[in-house]
Amino acid sequence: MMHIGAAAVMSLLGIAGCSAGSRPPAGQATVDALARAPWDSVVARARGSAVIWRMWRGDPSINAFVDGWVAPRLRARYGVMLHAVDGQGPELFNQLVVEREAGRSEGTASLVWINGETFSNLRREQLLAGPWAGRLPNAAFVDSASPIIARDFEQDPAGYESPWGRVQFALIYDAARTPVPPRTFDELAAWIRTHPGRFTYDEGFTGTTFLTMRMYADIGGVARLAGGFDSTRYALARERTFAWLDGLRPALWRGGATYPPDVAAMHRLFANQEIDFSMSNNQNEVVTKVRQGILPSTSRALLLRDGTIANAHYLGIPWNAPNAAGAMVVANFLLSPEAQLEKQRPEVWADGSVLDMRRVTRSWRARFEALEADPRQLPRDSLEKYARPEVSPRYHERLATDWRAHVRTPAFSAGRP
Amino acid sequence: MMVSARRNERRATLVALLASMLVAAPVLVGIAYAAAASMGIAGAGAGPTSAARLIRVLNDGQTWAGLVWSLSAAAVATVAATAGAIAVAVCFRGGGLSDRMARALAAAPLPLPHLVAAALAVWVLGQSGMLARVAFALGWIAAPSAMPPLIYDRWGVGLVLTMAWKEMAFLSVVATALLSTRTAAAEEAARTLGASEWETFRRVTFPVLWRGLVPAVVAVFIFVVGSYEAAALLAPSSPLALPLLVAERSADPDLARRGDAYVVTLLLLGMGIVAVIVHEWVRARWESLEE
Repeated sequence: MMHIGAAAVMSLLGIAGCSAGSRPPAGQATVDALARAPWDSVVARARGSAVIWRMWRGDPSINAFVDGWVAPRLRARYGVMLHAVDGQGPELFNQLVVEREAGRSEGTASLVWINGETFSNLRREQLLAGPWAGRLPNAAFVDSASPIIARDFEQDPAGYESPWGRVQFALIYDAARTPVPPRTFDELAAWIRTHPGRFTYDEGFTGTTFLTMRMYADIGGVARLAGGFDSTRYALARERTFAWLDGLRPALWRGGATYPPDVAAMHRLFANQEIDFSMSNNQNEVVTKVRQGILPSTSRALLLRDGTIANAHYLGIPWNAPNAAGAMVVANFLLSPEAQLEKQRPEVWADGSVLDMRRVTRSWRARFEALEADPRQLPRDSLEKYARPEVSPRYHERLATDWRAHVRTPAFSAGRP
Repeated sequence: MMVSARRNERRATLVALLASMLVAAPVLVGIAYAAAASMGIAGAGAGPTSAARLIRVLNDGQTWAGLVWSLSAAAVATVAATAGAIAVAVCFRGGGLSDRMARALAAAPLPLPHLVAAALAVWVLGQSGMLARVAFALGWIAAPSAMPPLIYDRWGVGLVLTMAWKEMAFLSVVATALLSTRTAAAEEAARTLGASEWETFRRVTFPVLWRGLVPAVVAVFIFVVGSYEAAALLAPSSPLALPLLVAERSADPDLARRGDAYVVTLLLLGMGIVAVIVHEWVRARWESLEE
């Protein structure tokens, strides 16, 4: 619902188009109609159309998969022109809010790549169309029993987003430099103290995920934070995590006075041997980055035995998507065993599949199993063993905000709230 | 005849006014939107209209630390760029090959995007960068990592050097143009009257150059204060440079804090306006002195 004051300002500025309420938003109306129509008619409606997909464009291997493998197949088989453009998380959300403020009931993007916090924000502001994900034919292959896929940071996707990949957090180390890496948080802390200046974490999403994992360990396991945001438990867990960080600060890279802005900077510092560990939200990123020559060939992924966070990523259709039918065809294609297998290849992206291997045909299963035999990938059983689900996105949000205020800039912290 | 001339003049003024309104309109709309978003009326995370965002940002030590840091880094970079530009224009003002080459070298960074300049700085100035490797190879430091940090460093040395190098190119082009068009006759007269080279520079060349250069210097300073790309690649995480604070707040996981970005933006805008007012005041004083 548009704020009354906002409406007044918008019309004063002359940038409000037609009112958002005068006609139903494109995406939602189409999704409602398509949810009742047979799949063939969805495909027929998508033919000859274009889909703008707002997604993270920060990784050349993901871009190559989308632009060079997915897009040509969609064009050839379904007559759908796929255009992937940059925009993720907060920017994506801000863009949709601005489109709503401007009264654009027909927006620009038909498909968005989301999860966790962004999904929570978009749902709360009713900026997603749905439900639609369950009606995709390939949804039948999805591993819906997996808590990592069936719950997005504890939230029920409720058909408003369709899973398309699954990843697990891992540290990255160089076996040549660190032949015996630490295997737990305690061992890591001891290692940091004996190797001052050689460890850090980034200020971005990956670094915060690392801290969230430490917070899980500090409070005695993820189960203690499950079931929605609890401010008392959060405060307790945060105190312990920040105390751990305070103790380590002098031994961190640059004495903990500054932090790499994002995970790309982490990889660069690691590759240039300025630090001895990098990290990734995707346990297989080390495989693709080694192939690209970005990381040294002796780089390996490492799962801490205290548990590492696993989560899935999803596709959503905005409330004002101009081409919901095309978006559904794209989402369905990305769930096909063919696309999931291609995406998981180490030389492509090495992104985990969301399919249940018991639901796909034997020949597809054999191909997935052959992939997992790749020695560069972490074995499935250890991934499963150490996987921990995400909890309410509020924990991640609060930890990021509090870290900025109290750890990054301790000089301005008069005391923690 | 007189009446029609006056009418034409009035029409021309009106057209000029309309044209400038047209140019200013997007800026004014942007300011109005930022003001609305600062009050919680518009933008992501808009909530009940209140001055809460304003109060929060103005009471936040990070804002002022960021402001002081950004202003200082921009001031040092601008002073260095200006000094460099004046030196280039004065020392290499001749028509000979070496002078022309020196001027071309100084202007070379001009077409380079700021992002590329910043990436180059990472490559050259980083602790594993070219400079560190050369220093190590020459035995000046025990290991490349022993190189003093020049990027992500507390004082923003890498950022200041990069911006100074990049902006010196622009200012040296302006300075060279000023020297070739405005000073020659006056310098000749001063020399004829017996002034030494140093006196000619101090009393004739520099004042003319400086007055002509000031608008460009002010523009460079305002640009550097608000420049995002280079800061994103080179500045430390604490204190956080103001443009980075804007980006961070606009993407804050807590929706209620995204409006804070607009408050910081308005603060940045305010700095720009103050710089322009100071410049106008100084120029008016010069003009009154000339009369």
